[in-house]
Amino acid sequence: MLTHIVSFAASGVGAGLGIGIGGGLGALGAGVGIGIIFGKVIESVTRQPEMRDEITSIQWLGFALTEACFFYGLVAGLLSYVLK
Amino acid sequence: MSNTRKLFYGITGFYLFGIALLVVIFGFGHKNNSFQIQNEFKLINWVHLGVFSINRAVVYLFIAAILTIATMVWIANRMQQRPNKVQTAVEVLYSLMRDNITRGNMDDSLAAKWFPFLGALFLFIWYSNLIGYLPLPTNSQEKFNILGAHIPSFALYAATANISVPLVLAAVVFVVFNWEGIRSQGPIGYIKSLIPSGVSGGILLLIFPLEVISTFMRLLSLTIRLFANILAGHMIILFMAGGLAVILGLTFLGWFTLPFGILIYLFELGLVATLQAFIFATLAAIYIGGAVTHH
Repeated sequence: MLTHIVSFAASGVGAGLGIGIGGGLGALGAGVGIGIIFGKVIESVTRQPEMRDEITSIQWLGFALTEACFFYGLVAGLLSYVLK
Repeated sequence: MSNTRKLFYGITGFYLFGIALLVVIFGFGHKNNSFQIQNEFKLINWVHLGVFSINRAVVYLFIAAILTIATMVWIANRMQQRPNKVQTAVEVLYSLMRDNITRGNMDDSLAAKWFPFLGALFLFIWYSNLIGYLPLPTNSQEKFNILGAHIPSFALYAATANISVPLVLAAVVFVVFNWEGIRSQGPIGYIKSLIPSGVSGGILLLIFPLEVISTFMRLLSLTIRLFANILAGHMIILFMAGGLAVILGLTFLGWFTLPFGILIYLFELGLVATLQAFIFATLAAIYIGGAVTHH
C-alpha cells in the first residue's frame, strides 16, 4: 500500500492534480464567501437604501479580499506544479 | 418575431454554424506540446546591462511611470474654474484617493503626510494594470515582417504580471507601515501593540507568534493578491482566445471559446484592473492607520 502511494507521488501525476485541487478548493471557498458578501449587501441596502454608497465601497473591499483567497489556492497549486 | 429575437437567433445560428463548419473542415487534431504558456510571460533582455537589463517589463514600468506623471501634471496645469469633463473625472479620482482611501483609514495629520504616497501608489498600479490590456509589439521571440523590417509581434503583457513588481511595492508598504508604528510608539511599544488587549499570562505565548506571523503575512498577501489576479486574468484571456485550441489541436475550439475570451477581457479591463489598484492602496492605508493606534 505504501509503495503504491510512493510510486504514485513519484510519477509526476500529482503535478496536474495539485493545480486541480488548489484551484478547485480555492474556488469553492471564494464562491461561498463572495456569495455571502453580496447577499448581505442586498439585505442591508433593502433595509436602508440611503446607505447604499457607503455599503458599496465596503462591498468592493470585501469582494477583493475574498477573491484573493482563491488566488492563494491557485498559487499553491501552481507551486506544486513547478516543484512536482 | 421581434427584431431583437431575430438578431439573437441569427447570432446564435452563425456561432453554431461556424463550429460545425470548422469541425467538418479541420476535424479533430492531436495534442501540440510545442506551445508552452510560460513563453508568453518570458522576459528576454534586449539591452544587456547585467541586473539592470532592459526587457519588456522594464519598458512597461517606464511607460506606466511616464504616462502617470505626464497625464496628471498636464491636467493639473490646465485646471479652470469651470471644469470640463476630464477635469471633473480627475477631481472625482482625487476625492476617491483622498477621502475614501486616505482619510477613511487614518487620522488627519497622518493623512496629510501619506496622501501623496498612497495617491501615487494607486495611480501607478492602476496605469500599470491598464496598459497591460493594450497590445504592444513586445514579443521579440516571434517577429513578423513588414516591408522588410522585423517587428516583434503584438502581445498582451502587464508589468504587474511579473512577481517582482508587486513584491517591491508590497515591500515598500511593509517598510512604511512598520516605520510609522515604530516612530509613533517606539520599538517596544509597537511590539506590545501587536498583542490584543485583555490577553495576559500563558496564552500570550500562543498569541504573540501568531500576531508576528500575521504581520509578515501582510507582505505576502499584498504581493500575491495583485500578482495572481493580473497573471490569472492574462492567462485566461490567452487560453480562451486560442491557446486552448492550439494546445489541444482542435480548431473549432478556438471559435467556441472566443466569445468567453472577449468577455473575460472586458471584465478584466473594466473591473479587475481598477479594483486591484484600489484594494492595494486601501490596504496600505489600513495598515498605516492601524500601526499607529494603540490596541
